[in-house]
Amino acid sequence: MKPTERFKRRYISFSLSAAGKPPLYQDAKELVHSHFLSFFGESGVSSLAFKLVKYEAATGAGILRCERSRTDEAILCMACLSEWKGQPARLEPLSTSGTIKRL
Amino acid sequence: MDIVRFEPNESEGAGRALPVSSLPFFFDIANATAAKGVCRKKSALVHAAAYEIDDGDLLELARAGGAIVFSFSDVLAERGFRRGIIISKMRLLLAACRKRGTGFAFATLAKDSSHMRSARELAAFAAVLGATDVEMKAAKKSIVRLAGRGEKPERPAQLSAAKAGK
Repeated sequence: MKPTERFKRRYISFSLSAAGKPPLYQDAKELVHSHFLSFFGESGVSSLAFKLVKYEAATGAGILRCERSRTDEAILCMACLSEWKGQPARLEPLSTSGTIKRL
Repeated sequence: MDIVRFEPNESEGAGRALPVSSLPFFFDIANATAAKGVCRKKSALVHAAAYEIDDGDLLELARAGGAIVFSFSDVLAERGFRRGIIISKMRLLLAACRKRGTGFAFATLAKDSSHMRSARELAAFAAVLGATDVEMKAAKKSIVRLAGRGEKPERPAQLSAAKAGK
């Protein structure tokens, strides 16, 4: 595939906390995936080029990928998370970049 | 600058958040009927929970130098399909504000510090509703001016015209 035909990617670093502490990797993955799926739907997630790239359970810091033109939607989606399984949760976007290295 | 529904202390961003109680010209309206009286008040900040305001009232509000407040808490309070509906209503109201030259502002109207959001998140909220970069700047100026002195906000339509003239 030509580079011009690929998704133009943006990487968003975030800080995740649920019930005041960072969740474990599997929980974080389930939380992020279910929240994005709920917000965008199956079709939306596919066109968003969404992927959870990295997550550190010790700090709650992570990186996710999205399509360049839909960065604002992805950030709004992250901001819309306020609770998970009855506990307060927060998915706070920190910075956005075109490369993982510059985050 | 953000508007919240509680009294923030220093750790909760007191510098960048204004409590609603300190804004005498902030009005919460439940429906379109209640909007009629409020929109004639000078430099009013109007939050319509249903996001349904008649075009005539928007014109009145534009003449009086007021602004419509879009609250992020209203999005947070809903889930699933109802969240989709409220975002859709906000988009329609923003388009109506643009058409009538009414000012608008974006705030969290958070009830506690956990519902407060960063400036980047509010900018993303505004962008998803359809606000342009120029309109976002105008919205920020509106909220600072209306919160500070009750002056007339800059209207997005006027800003666009001024920019085109340059």
